Amino acid sequence: MTTINILSLNKTYLNQSAPVLKDFSLSTNDGEMVALLGPSGSGKSTLLKLITGIERPDSGDIQFDGSSILNIEPNKRGAVLMFQKSYLFPFLSVEENIGFGLKVQGASSETIRAEVKRMLNLIGLPGIERRKPGQLSGGEGQRVALARALVTNPKLLLLDEPLSSLDTSVRMNLQEAIRTIQREFGVTTIFVTHDLGEAMAMSDRMALLLNGGIVALDKPENLFHRPRSLAAARFMGVSTFLNGDQLPVKCEASLSSEKIFAIRPEHIRIQKEACKDSIQGVVSDCVFRGEYVEYQVAIDEMTVRARMTMPAQMFSHGEQVYVNFQSEKLFEIHW
Amino acid sequence: MSRYNQMKHTFTYTLRILLYLILIAPLLLFAAYAFSTRWFFPQPFPVEWTMGTFQRAINDSRTLSSMAQGVWIAFLVSILSLILALPTARVLGLRKFRGRQLAWLLLFLPTVIPPLAVGMGLNILFLRIGLAGTITGVVLAHIIPTLPYTIFTLSSAFARFDENYEYQALALGASPWQIFLKVTLRMMTPSLVVATLFAFLISWSQYLLTLLIGGGQVITLPILLFSAASGGNPSIIAMLSLLFVAPPVMVIAFTARSLNQHGNEIREQY
Repeated sequence: MTTINILSLNKTYLNQSAPVLKDFSLSTNDGEMVALLGPSGSGKSTLLKLITGIERPDSGDIQFDGSSILNIEPNKRGAVLMFQKSYLFPFLSVEENIGFGLKVQGASSETIRAEVKRMLNLIGLPGIERRKPGQLSGGEGQRVALARALVTNPKLLLLDEPLSSLDTSVRMNLQEAIRTIQREFGVTTIFVTHDLGEAMAMSDRMALLLNGGIVALDKPENLFHRPRSLAAARFMGVSTFLNGDQLPVKCEASLSSEKIFAIRPEHIRIQKEACKDSIQGVVSDCVFRGEYVEYQVAIDEMTVRARMTMPAQMFSHGEQVYVNFQSEKLFEIHW
Repeated sequence: MSRYNQMKHTFTYTLRILLYLILIAPLLLFAAYAFSTRWFFPQPFPVEWTMGTFQRAINDSRTLSSMAQGVWIAFLVSILSLILALPTARVLGLRKFRGRQLAWLLLFLPTVIPPLAVGMGLNILFLRIGLAGTITGVVLAHIIPTLPYTIFTLSSAFARFDENYEYQALALGASPWQIFLKVTLRMMTPSLVVATLFAFLISWSQYLLTLLIGGGQVITLPILLFSAASGGNPSIIAMLSLLFVAPPVMVIAFTARSLNQHGNEIREQY
């Protein structure tokens, strides 16, 4: 249906010296869901505002299917939004809310009624046409908001942390629902979140956004296992970085101190007995998380974070342990 | 504990009755004066009831025309005041900008500055440009004291307003006008009703500015009431006072109902 090209966008808000978006570029394929993962203040929401036309970029271009939309009125762009709050109009019923977009675009009331019914079935909430938004739970509200957004057959669906105000169980449920419905509609989607798990679970590709620019863009599994930059690795939960000459495992490329290697916390093993290539350290912190235990082990000046899946041997604070890096899981970081 | 609750209950109950009495007593007194005749000092209650004063007041063309004119002026003032207040209140409620405090101060000056000072100055100005003695002039003058109240009411509502509702409508394809009519106005309705009520009441009861700017050409009920008050016939004063209270009571009764309705919708939102 639609491919989106965002070309070197720049945006600085009035009264602010630092740009929110710096030379930001992103291209999506048709029907793809791209997650934009970034901490607050990284420019995620600004990007959505530029795409919908609530704000204008200082420079750069946004193209839908190859043609610029910057000079198209915001209400004609066909990019719909879904926020953290459902923002259903409180004075309208569920039916009128979902039908809002069709109505302002001049659809007949029979069409609206039929479409609303179809959407309600799709989101798994048939028969709630007459209810008011105040009578819906948070998850139901978000489902209705999704239906309201998709009923107009948008070119692009923008999701701005739509699940972050929901309980964990409702959230899991809705993640799947959004994913399924998005695939069914085949609508190109940009999904903004600060939750790594959510971004990985839902997206085809994932972009890491830092200080107004993309630092990494790849499939979730690639980014997770082999982040290529330090910033990306930190984002993906990697906190152990070693210079080449610090490596306990000697392999041909590893001897240079110029090179930096990283390893994911779940690939570090902690054990009581020394073995080949293990390093001695002291447990400085231990957090039990149910499915796994997190250890912090001090080795000389360095602190290593390890994550061991339960059931695992338990160590207490201050205990002497041996840290074993799985050499095949070490990967090189490019600055 | 139940004894304490019982006492509390009796106490609030008594207070409520007292409050109603304070509110209703003057009206009862007006009614007693307006519909009785020859009620003199030693008699505790009126002895002779009559509709005569009422009929005389109603048949006097000045009474009805002054009421009609007052309602018409108050209506125009409410509309104009809302049109001016809505964008002002939106900016004051939603935006932070340099000079915001100053803007607030300036907009609130009319509540502090004596209306006599404003009225005299305006009178001279309006005489020069030919607005003195016209309904237009009176309406424009009435907007001065009403505006602070409408702006204040609406801006506090805008401070709670979330623009994302408008962005939603925009993204769904609504035009700016559709957004304004279908979303913004609907969300603001309860506060709009209250603001209209303020504007209407302030204009309806305005004596000084009407007198100064109207210059005897524009007669509203407060003007008649004041001249009757100096005349000293208690029956006439009471009757005009009752007529003076009628439209505001009707307006409040009407808005109270719609306020309740919209109050529920607003509560659902949070």
